[in-house]
Amino acid sequence: MADVRFEATVNGRKIARNAKPHQRLLDFLRDDLNLTGSKEGCGAGECGTCSVFVDGVLMKSCLLPVAKAQGAQIETIEALARTGELSLLQKAFHKTGASQCGYCIPGMVMAATAALRTNSFADREEIKERLGGNICRCTGYQKIIDAVEMARDVQNGRLPATIFSEVEAEQGDYIGKNVRSIDAPSKVTGRLKYAGDMTMPGMLYVQVLRSPHPHARIVSIDTAAAETMAGVEGVITSADVPGEDGFGVIVNDQPVMARGKVRYVGEAVAAIAAEDELTAKRALAAIKVVYEQLPAVFDPDEAMRPGAPVLHDYAPDNITKHIPIRVGDVEKGFAESDLVVEQTYSTQAIEHAYLEPEAGLAYVDPDGVVTIVSPDQNITHHRNMLARIIAKPIAKVRFIMSPVGGGFGGKTDMIYQGMLALLAMKTQRPVRLVFTREESIISTAKRHPSRTRVRMGLMRDGRIRAYEMTMVCDGGAYCMSTGNVVHKAAVLAAGPYVVPNIKIDTYGVYTNNTPSGAFRSFGALQAAFATESHLDICAERLGLDPFQIRRINAMHDGAVTHTRQQLGSVSLSRVLDTAEKASGWESGAPVSRGDRRGDLNREGVRPPCALGARFAVGDKREAAE
Amino acid sequence: MLICDEYLTPSTLNEAFAAMQRHRGRYRVVAGCTDTLPWAREGRAGDVEIPVLIDVARIPDLRESRVDDHRVRLGAATPIQRFLDDPVLARALPSMPRCAVWFADEQIRAQATIGGNIVNASPAADVTPALIAYDAEVELAKSSGSRVLRRHMKLEQFVIGPNRTALEEDELLIAVECDALPGHGGSFEKVGHRRSLVISIVCLATLVKLDAQGRRFEDVRLALGGIGPAPRRLTDVETFLLGGPLSAARLEEAAEMPVSLVASRTRQAYRRDVVRGFMLRGLISAARRAGADAGALSPELEAAYG
Repeated sequence: MADVRFEATVNGRKIARNAKPHQRLLDFLRDDLNLTGSKEGCGAGECGTCSVFVDGVLMKSCLLPVAKAQGAQIETIEALARTGELSLLQKAFHKTGASQCGYCIPGMVMAATAALRTNSFADREEIKERLGGNICRCTGYQKIIDAVEMARDVQNGRLPATIFSEVEAEQGDYIGKNVRSIDAPSKVTGRLKYAGDMTMPGMLYVQVLRSPHPHARIVSIDTAAAETMAGVEGVITSADVPGEDGFGVIVNDQPVMARGKVRYVGEAVAAIAAEDELTAKRALAAIKVVYEQLPAVFDPDEAMRPGAPVLHDYAPDNITKHIPIRVGDVEKGFAESDLVVEQTYSTQAIEHAYLEPEAGLAYVDPDGVVTIVSPDQNITHHRNMLARIIAKPIAKVRFIMSPVGGGFGGKTDMIYQGMLALLAMKTQRPVRLVFTREESIISTAKRHPSRTRVRMGLMRDGRIRAYEMTMVCDGGAYCMSTGNVVHKAAVLAAGPYVVPNIKIDTYGVYTNNTPSGAFRSFGALQAAFATESHLDICAERLGLDPFQIRRINAMHDGAVTHTRQQLGSVSLSRVLDTAEKASGWESGAPVSRGDRRGDLNREGVRPPCALGARFAVGDKREAAE
Repeated sequence: MLICDEYLTPSTLNEAFAAMQRHRGRYRVVAGCTDTLPWAREGRAGDVEIPVLIDVARIPDLRESRVDDHRVRLGAATPIQRFLDDPVLARALPSMPRCAVWFADEQIRAQATIGGNIVNASPAADVTPALIAYDAEVELAKSSGSRVLRRHMKLEQFVIGPNRTALEEDELLIAVECDALPGHGGSFEKVGHRRSLVISIVCLATLVKLDAQGRRFEDVRLALGGIGPAPRRLTDVETFLLGGPLSAARLEEAAEMPVSLVASRTRQAYRRDVVRGFMLRGLISAARRAGADAGALSPELEAAYG
């Protein structure tokens, strides 16, 4: 493979360097020029974290072979604040709080810059259209679009530039005020280094071999050919784990790499550290694993039946957690009720889809301290576990939390840090692993899919007499946070309502699916979706307004929950009042739908989401289709 | 990951043919690369090693476009964004800006080429059905000794099925030629999972010319994509509507005609519903842009599909 001579102007400076023919412009900017403000969120042109200007035109640098930019004028996020002063857009992003995790922000700022360069009077719809190629996971976009409008108006003299420096909060008075995020400037300029942006001298590149099977016994792993390849510095399998191999949140059921058998597609089986990514990839292909496939189970209800394939020896019924709650006598409550309604609700697995795929850097420091730098949302717990796994005293293990480019709970469960530690120890060199988007999706935890049966007994006036609920959550191949998720689901299941008779059972079950783990709301979503949907159905059956049925059953200050927690204050009534007013709710039983409802299509109410295209042809702008 | 030993960027057609000759059997031609790079990833082709990539996007012959009153010639490496940025093209091809705005996003449109979209032959391609409605022809060329052999073929015949075209070995797609229809009203209907960066579940390109009163069809062009292995021109519907009145009854009957063409691998029932709705919406909006008489259609139909 012959290098190519690459010459271009990058951020105003002439550069002339050798590049690999397969390098993308993004690789060249990040790896060769250390311009890490451009990120890789997906590598497939979907997310826009890598947007740069090529000869004045915004493009996705992950889709550009470097040779395509030969001789071009390239401008990256680093160019926008070269003088040290933030650009108008960067100031506006800071002012409106548009940067949260920050990972999408360099690309967003670039797309916003392109939008205002193309049309300095772009309205909100046009801004949305022109930012359509960039994804943000944190903000919901409103603050980003607000920022672009603010910058536009300052640029056009419609707003004073002093707006950027206005501060709402007085000294020491921050509650209820807009306080500006102190790390926003590092994010809007692309200066903040996430784990995948960090390098160390002598650093090796890690690639992971993953299971193609949902359930299989590992007969043998032959790494001999990979070990002897030039450029390969270390190969590890579960045989390299010196201590007690198992991590988890509740049950330490997950080995660093598959031990004896694989339990889901995408589970790590071996890892390689090599001088470059391509060598590591080629070495990965040289590892020979012989599998003997085992029967697999993908449905949690089937997994609980006798005779189902067993994932972990300690749980022969595949149940990792069962939370039962009993209050009063639920059958008596049903017998007393005027109406009994029964329904089943299900929710699906959801990927967190943070813009920053998992990444980590590890090294052994001169004092023999194994150090892991990663966007890890639970470093203290992980440090304790890793010490046991690598058989070192706690003082010889250090975790550094790098900026988290979005987590939403998904970076709470330790996943890859064990492999990084083992490879740093084995090679005695710094090692870095950066997941691809595909790897992040296939191998990391998801929100628990759930199936929930709710049976509710009510009096004609709307009072709930009895509530029975059984929820089965698909925990996937390893427990991770499943026990706590089903625990929280059980605690919150009956909602903020006074119910005299309750029977709740929530189960977390092993299957050969991708593991489920922590995700925002942590079990509350699945339970609330079932209970609140159910209340709407009951309201319809009783001819009651959905707000009214909730008010009839609402807890008030000092109430005792069904798990005997006394609540000092209960804000439910205020929440209901506010929601009812803000939505312009048309009162009454929810029997009319769609365009017949008076609370839709009102002034001030946004129309339903539509895919309509907005665009400009020549000077004429029109809403197409 | 797309791995190659050489990445060539020929600056003339002759250089490109010479490179193809030299690396026969071990090269792949690329243009915008916006589909090739995502293709070489896990879940699609995985890591792909191709010894030589020949990038034709910079060849001037492939970037030229010409427009006169009757025909348009578009170099194969014309970026999709041109349909939005070039008012002359937008006037000659009135449905193309509407097609382009639904295509990926502004950044990818600046790089992706019409030739790439055609040669990829994805059943969900947007540009191919849109151009088929203009009676598009492709110009193909290959080198034979010192001569360049050129041939022409209907675009509809060139695209055979998923990832399959009539392109021969060592042959290049040079240009597309199609009708200029500045007096037509155009529309492009598309649905996917979101607004930007989405492939078509169904798309429909429509071109309509009406008589001076705006009440009769003088010309109708329709092409459907996303519903089967390759895009389809709806000639039977065109014949049915031609010369007839612009009326709710005719449009509703026409809308039913292509529903049975849905032969996709998945979601057939959904696609049939969409095809029916798109036919009405596409014809109504194209007719309106062609100067339809305001009273030709019932207000109910206009409200539902306009």
